Amino acid sequence: MKIFKFIISKIFLRKAILGISMILLLCMANYTTFTATRSILSTYQGYQETKYINQNGVYIANLDPDSYIDMDVITKDRTQVVYEYLNNNFNYAFYTDGFVVTIPNIDNMEISLSYINEEYYKLNQFELSQGENLDFDYQLDNEIPVLIGKGLSKTYPVGSTIEIEESVLGRPITLKVQGVLKQNAYHSNYYALNSKTYYNFSILVPVNEEFINNANIDLQLNGLMDLTILDTTNEKIINLSEILKENLGLEFNFFSQKENYDYFNEYYIHSLKIIAITTLILLIVITCISIWNALVSIRLMLKDFTINFLVGLSYSKLRKIFYSYFGILSCINLTVIFIFTAFNRYGCWLRKDASFATYGLFGLIGIDWLALFVVILSDIIIGIVIIENMLRKIKKVPISLGVLQ
Amino acid sequence: MKIIDLKIKEKVYKNKKTQLSILNNLNLEVNVGEKIAIVGESGVGKSSLLNIIGLLDRDYDGEYTLFGLPTINLHTSELAKWRNEKIGFVLQESALINSLTIEDNIKLPLLYADSRKKEFNSKDFESIINAIDIQHILKKKPLECSGGEKARAVFARGIIMKPQIILADEPTASLDIENRKRIINLLFKMNKEFNTTIITVTHDLEIANRHDRVIHLERRK
Amino acid sequence: MLKENIIEIKKSLFRISDVLELCSVYIFCFFLNTLFEYIKTLDLESYILKEFLNKFTTYQKLIVLLFTFIVIVFHYQMLHRKKTEIFCKKLVGDTIFNITIRYIFDCLMILIFIYLLSSLVNIYFNFNLINNLYLVGIFFVYIIISAREVQKYENF
Repeated sequence: MKIFKFIISKIFLRKAILGISMILLLCMANYTTFTATRSILSTYQGYQETKYINQNGVYIANLDPDSYIDMDVITKDRTQVVYEYLNNNFNYAFYTDGFVVTIPNIDNMEISLSYINEEYYKLNQFELSQGENLDFDYQLDNEIPVLIGKGLSKTYPVGSTIEIEESVLGRPITLKVQGVLKQNAYHSNYYALNSKTYYNFSILVPVNEEFINNANIDLQLNGLMDLTILDTTNEKIINLSEILKENLGLEFNFFSQKENYDYFNEYYIHSLKIIAITTLILLIVITCISIWNALVSIRLMLKDFTINFLVGLSYSKLRKIFYSYFGILSCINLTVIFIFTAFNRYGCWLRKDASFATYGLFGLIGIDWLALFVVILSDIIIGIVIIENMLRKIKKVPISLGVLQ
Repeated sequence: MKIIDLKIKEKVYKNKKTQLSILNNLNLEVNVGEKIAIVGESGVGKSSLLNIIGLLDRDYDGEYTLFGLPTINLHTSELAKWRNEKIGFVLQESALINSLTIEDNIKLPLLYADSRKKEFNSKDFESIINAIDIQHILKKKPLECSGGEKARAVFARGIIMKPQIILADEPTASLDIENRKRIINLLFKMNKEFNTTIITVTHDLEIANRHDRVIHLERRK
Repeated sequence: MLKENIIEIKKSLFRISDVLELCSVYIFCFFLNTLFEYIKTLDLESYILKEFLNKFTTYQKLIVLLFTFIVIVFHYQMLHRKKTEIFCKKLVGDTIFNITIRYIFDCLMILIFIYLLSSLVNIYFNFNLINNLYLVGIFFVYIIISAREVQKYENF
């Protein structure tokens, strides 16, 4: 410890610029690794979510990007015709969100209402921390059982009721808290699997046929955008497309399991490969610059090291000192990345961004911790490469020559 | 004829923590062609005095007239010119540029010389090289040479311009007896042939006693 | 005559290896900045890729600025290595002022050369020529600051 303190304070810190540059380079490497890992993990989580709906006979609706929405043509009567057709001919999972409501809560967040039907609920297997599963067999005039996110559970414990002015029904309704979702429950965007909405400040409202029939055009139309048709055939889907076109003037694409699988392989795997390769190249470049920086340090500190060799320092001791020193630099960087991430997560709370507000130690969630773990692994690899190169360089120079330098 | 007339009231060394006053009330007059040895214990200011005489250091309280001219008003470029043409430094062996060969190190003063001075006769160069026996290391880099070889290279660089004053700081410290003799003889030969003024800082009393005058520097009591 | 023989020695502190090293660090920084500009022009279909690259392009200036620290490292280590040379040159007739001016001039020449090279790349990709100009400013400041360090080595 004494030797370590001596070498750190009398050799390394006397040339602080070299230490700072190493910290900055490591910071770049860590940020790159962290960002890439989080992107990959988040996409993987999204993929896991879609696995439930990515089955044979399942088709996912998607509005054709070239299709023009003419709101003059689309009326409640017409959307109603579409839903009647859907109810009579299909088994479908309904999901739509983004309807904001203001209700009192201790964090003063705006609350998002997500509407799901029974099929969607069954497919997604929501995990609860308290309470019971949703019940879809209710009357609109009575209390509607809902699931709420963790952020609302203190204000609205299980069994309590919430009075809201329901925008899609256009009248006040009473929601009864049936259960609380596990913290950081999320919903991934099917067309951007790495992007997700957290349910911590959401209310999951179960919708049944009666609800949809009484809902306004916004809910009915939005619901069609993410519609998932279950247990069906291609012929029936073609008919549905025609009904949609006829009544709403909209072109919908319905992607089958194979198309989804191919899309995933083509789009996501390709993107993830590019991310992985880019990250690898960046890490190699940063490692090379770090080696240059380390060798520059050795060039300038060689005399100090060799004089220490002269008076009893061994290569194995120096190796330990180097690894400890690198460990300290790495810890500084991990702290920086940690603070940066915590600050970003905390920023969502400050901005009252309910869709992204998450719970966790210092606001960090599972993928953040996993990404930090990968950063530690990458630091270990980079550290080994740099330190072994430094030692090789030092060993190459005879002690006598080093002292003279 | 006086070549050096130096009067130092005080030279102060400052660093963050301490302040050290040396060379207090020192008067030094040196005539052309004189050989002077400066002796004294370590830290008394021998090398500092050499730096002042060699125009490397002007941060002191005093007056200095060199070659009949007060140095206080001289521009740094004129000081540099004098260092190049009139003063030769023979310092420790480590005062060599590691990235240059010994030959380039020796010829370094020629780089800054007037074109007239650059018309240096290669015979002179070779005679210096032969006299101090370093032909075999000319193409080597300093780190490939022994301490004695480097000391001789530093010596060669110091005399290559045939200066009027040679300032030698422990020129024989890392040399064996034979090379020590050779360097001292060459130094005195320069003095004899070209009437070069020699000022040597040394701990070796035998060498010091071969000079015309020995100056003992003492710490202020 | 020795006149021909001394051509090998240069008044400049820069050797070929130093020039190449400084060119490399400048090229890396300019390349990185141009790469960011290039990424920003890409019309990526992949949302995930776009999001990933956004995490870098959002902090473009900061990332490039942090990487320019390697230029500081270059100046620092180069002058540190040259301290004996600076002293020896002063000893044999050079002045610290001249050494400093020569050092600034050499650095600027290399900087201008690399900037012009990067400008050609910018012209080729139809990027704005001033994209890389802020880096020239930063590097100029680094040169001036490092040049002040030369006088630190005037005594051996």
